[in-house]
Amino acid sequence: MEILHARHTVSVLMLVGALAILGGCATGPQAKGLTSDPLEPANRAFYGLNEGLDRGLVKPIAEVYEKITPAPARTAVTNFFDNLLYLNVILNSFLQGKVDQGFSDAGRFLVNSTLGIGGLFDVAKGMGMPMHNEDFGQTLATWGLREGPYVYLPIKGPNSGRDLPDLVMSTLLNPLTYLSGGILAPIQALRIINLRANLLDETRIRDEAAVDPYSFTREAYLQRREFLIYDGAPPTTGYEDIFEEEPDSDAQLKVE
Amino acid sequence: MPVTTPGAQVARIALLLRAAALMLAVMCGAASAPAQESHPDFGPAAAIVAELHGVLVNIMQNAGALGYQGRYQQVDPILRNRFDTPLIVKVILSRHWNGLNDAEKTEFIQLFHRLSVATYASRFDSFNGQAFVETGREQLNAGRILIKTELTRVDEPPVKLDYLIHQTDQGEWRIISVIANGVNDLSLKRAEYAAVIKERGFAGLLEDIRGKIHDMESGAET
Repeated sequence: MEILHARHTVSVLMLVGALAILGGCATGPQAKGLTSDPLEPANRAFYGLNEGLDRGLVKPIAEVYEKITPAPARTAVTNFFDNLLYLNVILNSFLQGKVDQGFSDAGRFLVNSTLGIGGLFDVAKGMGMPMHNEDFGQTLATWGLREGPYVYLPIKGPNSGRDLPDLVMSTLLNPLTYLSGGILAPIQALRIINLRANLLDETRIRDEAAVDPYSFTREAYLQRREFLIYDGAPPTTGYEDIFEEEPDSDAQLKVE
Repeated sequence: MPVTTPGAQVARIALLLRAAALMLAVMCGAASAPAQESHPDFGPAAAIVAELHGVLVNIMQNAGALGYQGRYQQVDPILRNRFDTPLIVKVILSRHWNGLNDAEKTEFIQLFHRLSVATYASRFDSFNGQAFVETGREQLNAGRILIKTELTRVDEPPVKLDYLIHQTDQGEWRIISVIANGVNDLSLKRAEYAAVIKERGFAGLLEDIRGKIHDMESGAET
């Protein structure tokens, strides 16, 4: 029964992925300046839905979890899930031609799964095998696929058309997909609560700073993705573009 | 038969894995990017970033004694003298800027300055061994300079902070953009402000920004 259910989930995700690829290919070049957001009405609706769910349920639980769970335990839980989902990182390191990194990532997975007791401890880091952040969305970007429209999904949150196929790949490479029985629900719940607890600082900053949290989230997500695609060293032209559009300046104006 | 400790075994496995990775990397011809160097005068730009970081470390280390108001007073002058706020708000408001009269422009510049100072005063409110390290300098277009830095943290990965600095018509070097882990505050605010102006007009935006400053002032005192 559960296996059938898993298969069904996978096929739905594959369909979403296929549509996303088509969407990504069909989208023309994006206008300079403000981010184009053709799906904004639907995106904003789902954003509101997720925010409601977060405020009413997920965030309060995550806050209690953060308060009652000692930091080392939370680190162990984070390590466990990072390791469990690491097959996706390994494959995508190779798919991007980062062979050295791919082998390091495979070694990391083996070491942490065994010596790190099922991934609870990150012993590989101290052995020169640091954690990398790769996924199929980043791979498609390095292969030259355009970003596509910004898509905000219910539950899942911010995505771009190009990032949607990763939902399929990461699901297929997630061992939990193939797990069945009563243990699955509490594991998934722990994963979500721990993930949300790790984001409490970020959302605190967003709530403190943002006058339009929807736009803030979109811009931060898209720029963060760019940062990850270039492994933390995006081309500096991206920093400068914003100044090229306004050549003249009001030199007489000052902060008094 | 030699006795091997678990530690030695771990080290051997690591060595083997890394050797295998290296061998494959060499076989597959993994390329490394050549470094490029130029030598313009980075001195003034780097000094401004160092000055800002000095103030930030100071307000973090003395956060409790200074309080929010004290931290605000410390940050105010450096943002006033070392950031090109008029250019920053012009870029952020983009096409809406031209629709404002001089009084509105001046008012918005003041308000945005207060928002920036309040944000620094509220966010840099504790010290846990953080330190700023310069990691690189680059010459960009139109005489702009990029100073790359990292905010290192104990037990947490560092935050990459990139500063874009330009020379004003008066010949002063001023910061025009801060990029944290690839996220550019200017683009973020430009998108947000455009959305608020579209929904509730320029007056709505002013109201929201005043609200944010007020929240930071009151939130920080508790």
